[in-house]
Amino acid sequence: MLDADFEVDRRDFTVRAAVRVPPGERLALFGPSGAGKTTLLEAIAGLVTPRRGRIVLGGRVLTSTELRQAVPPWQRRVGLLRQNPGLFPHLSVRANLSYGRPATEPELTELAELLGVGDLLTVMPARLSGGQAHRVALGRLLLAHCDALLLDEPFTGLDASLRRALTNLVVSLVVARDVPAVLVTHELADAQAFADRLAILDRGQMLQVGPPGEVVLRPVSQRVAELVGYLGFVPVQCVSPGAGPTSPVPGDTVPGDTAGAVTAGIHPERTLAGAHPGRGLVLTGAVTASRPAGAGWEADVRVAETVITCRLPDQPPAGGEFVVTVLDPPYFGPDGAALPAEPCRPEQVRQ
Amino acid sequence: MSLAASPAVAAGGTVTGDGSPGPSGPLSRPGPQRVRSVSGAVSVIGAAVIWIALLGPVIALLTHLSWNAIRSSLTAPGALDPLVVSVESGAVTLAVLFGLGTPLAWMMARGRLPFPRVWEAGVLCSLLLPPLVIGLLLIFMVGPYTPIGEMLGHLNLSASNTFLALCIAEVYESAPYYVLSAQAAFSGVDPRLEQQAQLLGDRPLRAFRRVTLPLATPGLAMGLSVAWARAMGAFGAVIIIAYHPFGIPLQIYTTLQETGLASALPFALVLLVVALPLPLAAYVWSARAGRRLRG
Repeated sequence: MLDADFEVDRRDFTVRAAVRVPPGERLALFGPSGAGKTTLLEAIAGLVTPRRGRIVLGGRVLTSTELRQAVPPWQRRVGLLRQNPGLFPHLSVRANLSYGRPATEPELTELAELLGVGDLLTVMPARLSGGQAHRVALGRLLLAHCDALLLDEPFTGLDASLRRALTNLVVSLVVARDVPAVLVTHELADAQAFADRLAILDRGQMLQVGPPGEVVLRPVSQRVAELVGYLGFVPVQCVSPGAGPTSPVPGDTVPGDTAGAVTAGIHPERTLAGAHPGRGLVLTGAVTASRPAGAGWEADVRVAETVITCRLPDQPPAGGEFVVTVLDPPYFGPDGAALPAEPCRPEQVRQ
Repeated sequence: MSLAASPAVAAGGTVTGDGSPGPSGPLSRPGPQRVRSVSGAVSVIGAAVIWIALLGPVIALLTHLSWNAIRSSLTAPGALDPLVVSVESGAVTLAVLFGLGTPLAWMMARGRLPFPRVWEAGVLCSLLLPPLVIGLLLIFMVGPYTPIGEMLGHLNLSASNTFLALCIAEVYESAPYYVLSAQAAFSGVDPRLEQQAQLLGDRPLRAFRRVTLPLATPGLAMGLSVAWARAMGAFGAVIIIAYHPFGIPLQIYTTLQETGLASALPFALVLLVVALPLPLAAYVWSARAGRRLRG
């Protein structure tokens, strides 16, 4: 079990972290660049010193400001894999793999075969492709018998299919070895593919921790929603009573400047063309632009004063009235906090 | 831009009103390419001239030597004693530089020292000062009537006209070449590799030995070999503080003074033969090591 609760001062803000990752579980830290994700990993690895807090791994206290204790990096048994795989360029693949702990030949061969680098053991790192280098770096950590695996955007820059393959490999190895693993990424899809739990980090603060699906579909605040890909926030008004203290009064009209308004978060991938009142919020607007996106289309739709982005299977008609249904959107109060469940039967604010 | 100043015109082409190259015959070749090829040829010729000029003294030495002069100069009784002195003092100098200069260079490369510019300035100081001035100042620092000189005296040592003085002078003249080369070599090693080695269980010293040192070795070897060449040729500080025992440079100087140019030239050849192979070998080896790392 990795149990960390600490604060690290950075020049611009303080990173506050509280994570508990049981053996075999994967936690993904997701947030924008400069949010403090790498700092958090480096504190666990012992490369930066927390101002306050405690880090415990498998019952061993690695850092405790209270006890004035800090185990040095070389005694932590924590593996850190960065975007740059950090292979030692003067050593062959075989020597790199067994750097942390001399391995027996069968052990080495078995792992190399598992990682798909079995025929590269005598090759120097400069001859490896990006994916092969990452596999070797991962194998080196596994052979060193690390008690925790920290992954700092390890597969950034690799193509999508290779990234997915390596992510699946790491997941299977983490489960098989029963070690806690923490992945830092700013690609939500990578985080979702990897993690049991997703933590959202912004300017050093952990805004939300939970199962990936829950965090994405039920963000606790508008800021979290923005970070996980909600690209538009449309003011809504209630047309029937709702529950909860923050629910708007039925029939309220939201002011045009949206101050004090309830808003619905619009995720581009949670939209359907046409009116489907039973499935979510129905909005009416006008298509201002559309472009191919993947196997479908991406359209900008002006709804009242807000432009929302929708991913649709077919190209929407330009101009004229366009109706789109937003599947079960999250709602946010005036303070940006999510409203508990659906506050009322919402309806788009009409000008 | 005036036509006279145009590169295309200067290269024998024409330019149109908007400055673009003319359209026909040999003039239809794109102007900038023509200029590039001409400037490229000029660059190659310039480089060759500089290279030959730099090698000129060596060529002159070889063309002015006769085997008889070499044989008679080098077979005289005690003629090769200065060579032994130079090689011994050079070896001591390299040992001192490696032992003391390497940690300094590593700390400078990793920013582990407070006021790093001050440390760099200190290393550069002996590079920027004329060797003759270094010799004069060394007398004030380690001469027999200074605190350091007196302390050495208690140990029955002297830093004036002794082998120790020769080594001190050579260290001062060659140290910046090694320390700055070693600093560059260490700076070229990604510190994250050292971090990775530590996370894999290596204590810092072990990580240094297993990762940093092997990766920096080509640069360190180059630095040491250049320092060796400087130590072999050290003259300015040496003539002030360590006139005795004679090394090769002083042998050349005194032979020149006493018996003339023809007698001094064989010793110059000896100096080149002793000083140059190590840098050349280090250059070839470090180039091969670099190719190996780059795959």
